[in-house]
Amino acid sequence: MRRAGKLLLALLLVVPLTACWNLEEPDEQAFVLGSGLDYTKQGEVMLSSQIVVPSGIGSSQDGGGSQKPDSFRMMKANGKNVYDAVENLQKQVSRALFFGHRQTIIIGHRMAVHGIGSFMDIFIRNPQAELRSSIFVVKNAEAKDIFTITPIFDPIITPTLSREIRSMGLKPYYFRNFLAESMSETKLPLVPLISLNEMHKYVYAGGAILNKDDDLKLIGFLNAKEALYANWILGNLNRLAITALVKKGDGNVSVKLQTLNHKVHVKPSGSQINVDVHLTGKGTIVENNSNLDPTNRMDLMTIQKALSEATQTSIVEMVNKVQKRYKADIFAFGESFHRQQPVQWKTLRTGWKEAFPLLHITVKVDIQCKDPGQSSSSLMKSFQKPG
Amino acid sequence: MNIGTDLKANEQAFKDVFQNCSDVKFREIAINDQPKLLMIYTDGMVDTDIVLSHVLKPLLYNGQPKGLGAMDSIAHMFNRELLPVLETMRLSDTTAIAELILKGHLALLIDGEPHALLADIQRFEARSIEEPTEEATLRGSKESFTENLRTNTTMIRRILGTPKLKMESYKIGSLSQTEIVITYIEGKVSTDVLKTVRERIGKIELEGILESGYIEESIEDFHFTPFQQMGNTERPDVVAAELLEGKVAIITNGSPFVLIAPVTFWGGLQAPDDYYERFLFVDFSRWIRFMFILFSVLFPSLYIALTNYHQEMVPLKLMTTIAMLREKSPFPTVIEVLLMELMFEGLREAGIRLPMQIGPLVTVAGALVIGEAAVRAGIISAPIVIVVAAAGIASFVIPRYRAGYPLRMLRFPLLVLSGLFGLFGMAVGIIAILIHMIHLSSFGTPFFSPVAPLASRRLKDILVRKPRKLVKRSGPEAESS
Repeated sequence: MRRAGKLLLALLLVVPLTACWNLEEPDEQAFVLGSGLDYTKQGEVMLSSQIVVPSGIGSSQDGGGSQKPDSFRMMKANGKNVYDAVENLQKQVSRALFFGHRQTIIIGHRMAVHGIGSFMDIFIRNPQAELRSSIFVVKNAEAKDIFTITPIFDPIITPTLSREIRSMGLKPYYFRNFLAESMSETKLPLVPLISLNEMHKYVYAGGAILNKDDDLKLIGFLNAKEALYANWILGNLNRLAITALVKKGDGNVSVKLQTLNHKVHVKPSGSQINVDVHLTGKGTIVENNSNLDPTNRMDLMTIQKALSEATQTSIVEMVNKVQKRYKADIFAFGESFHRQQPVQWKTLRTGWKEAFPLLHITVKVDIQCKDPGQSSSSLMKSFQKPG
Repeated sequence: MNIGTDLKANEQAFKDVFQNCSDVKFREIAINDQPKLLMIYTDGMVDTDIVLSHVLKPLLYNGQPKGLGAMDSIAHMFNRELLPVLETMRLSDTTAIAELILKGHLALLIDGEPHALLADIQRFEARSIEEPTEEATLRGSKESFTENLRTNTTMIRRILGTPKLKMESYKIGSLSQTEIVITYIEGKVSTDVLKTVRERIGKIELEGILESGYIEESIEDFHFTPFQQMGNTERPDVVAAELLEGKVAIITNGSPFVLIAPVTFWGGLQAPDDYYERFLFVDFSRWIRFMFILFSVLFPSLYIALTNYHQEMVPLKLMTTIAMLREKSPFPTVIEVLLMELMFEGLREAGIRLPMQIGPLVTVAGALVIGEAAVRAGIISAPIVIVVAAAGIASFVIPRYRAGYPLRMLRFPLLVLSGLFGLFGMAVGIIAILIHMIHLSSFGTPFFSPVAPLASRRLKDILVRKPRKLVKRSGPEAESS
């Protein structure tokens, strides 16, 4: 009993000795929900932060008429590096900035062009919550512009962005994925891209390819469609809607793919390296404006073939763009090679960057319509003039 | 001092003993115009019917019994022919006689005989057997112990009708002369425990025993601990169950609470229903109980630690809501929680002793003060009320009310620790509590067994209850611990 007391006392005395006293009431803290990194013309970092204003959130019952403050505030500050900017930001905020709940990191267009590699150190050296925050690149705008958007559903924009990614059928892209990709041997990061539309709302704009070998500078963009296809090859896509013209049926058909599979097969033959990409998708026909009847086997085959071919053409175009124009291995073909041909990889490892544009890539898409929907042939027939 | 043959002198002796005791009555009876007989009894503790019909009437109406010649004394005659009483005895020691008179015996002193005849015709008003008020169950016996020792022993004997059920009687308390009974099942009980109990009871030096709590405090192993090392129950079926597990029960005259030793921490978390209801449901509710007990001890301090030190561990939406609700409150979170906890304990304490008629008043005032007004006025933030009320209610899931005392008390040191040092302080506090609990023992049984020291065979009955067919009961349970 007495010994236990002494032990307890000794254990507790350890704490004041370390001089650590980190008690912080929630009302002494400014919760930062998202940070944006921009590069100013003067060559400084501009850190914009979205800070929650607790008194502006919720509680509609008290003070019906009284003026409620906004639920968030966008603050920005410049600095020589990220932490310098944080310190400058703190000068404008009366509560201690708390980054533990930062959900989103947004990189402005100019910052992406300048290259964010030289500003990444703080996120690794002094990590707060970055591993589970999502990361985005903004096209043709600054990061701070995103934070001023008032979203439709949430009081604050930051959670909306990651939800948007999920609603597109994509797996969430976290900072940890970004870190892993920027440190990988061959793969280049494909970061989700957002842009602003005319109504000053955000819109999913595809992906940004950053060059991990050159300070994470921006190489180029993929548009929304292309980014979805690229993610299909990567296996990051859960569902996809495809609409294509079926010539024989004289109309277009839409199919919602629920089960998406991808297979990448690397076959070296002599000096030539063949990469076979086989993408399969199964789904439901949701709209049929052709005069074909999906319940009819032959018609269904026609529809499937047309859809597969159309998709295949777009994907081949996308792959060519990435391979020939950007010369960026965002599809992790290098990693597949490494996994499938570990012996040959040793000779190729250093020269992969040069080898990638020369790969012979074939893409094959197989779309199966498992479910023709609730009706057989299109109702359109009955609206048309007979004969 | 012994009594003599002279009735007058004896009377005077007893009148001296019972000076100013208005409830002790003296009654002289004359046989053949000679005061030959003196009755002494305590008014209100004897069965007056017996006195009237078997002592006074025969003597007064029939005169001296004819058979007297064959007997050697009147006392003998009473014993043999008149008193239809099970227990009689002849004594000549004044103090012993006086004691028995006060316990409800009728003393008969006869002129010319140097001893008194004592007849046990004790009868007094007592509470009848009622439903248990503290340990209610949905299923199982509805009897509870009363203040009368004999009634209580009867109730146990009725459940366990075996001669192996032993009841050893002791008298303790130099003034109160309280009768207590140690009961156990021979062959099941651990002899070591029984020996310890007997020894410790023999050493009790108290003037009066008003409640079994006096005995508990006198014979428990550790005084400076919030944990009780003896169980107490008002249910005969619980006592019987514990006896079957090889434990010792101590029944105290005048107390409806029977002590049980040895007990463990886990025993206090079991309800009698656990063995009456179907086992699947019992396992479910047992785990609910474990969860809520942890919750009641840790939740308030966890709340403080998380909101004051480790904000990143709280999901964002919850954190912003908490921050929003805290915005207006003037006190630090720790102070808020302490205030509300004290308030809650105060309400609980007030609720116990309130007369029935005033009870609702406290409920209303408490609900208004704690629930509404404090939050409305912005003095206490709403989450605190939720935390404290939830933890408070959770602490009442512990089936034996007294086993919940320590857990309710230990919340406070944990609160202070987590307020000072966050999760680290909380961890230190929990470790200290565990060290303390493992250090405790109850009559030789480690308090935290069978978890520490680990006895995996018995662990199964602690975490879950298996259906009876799968449980092999073997030997004295206490031996294996």
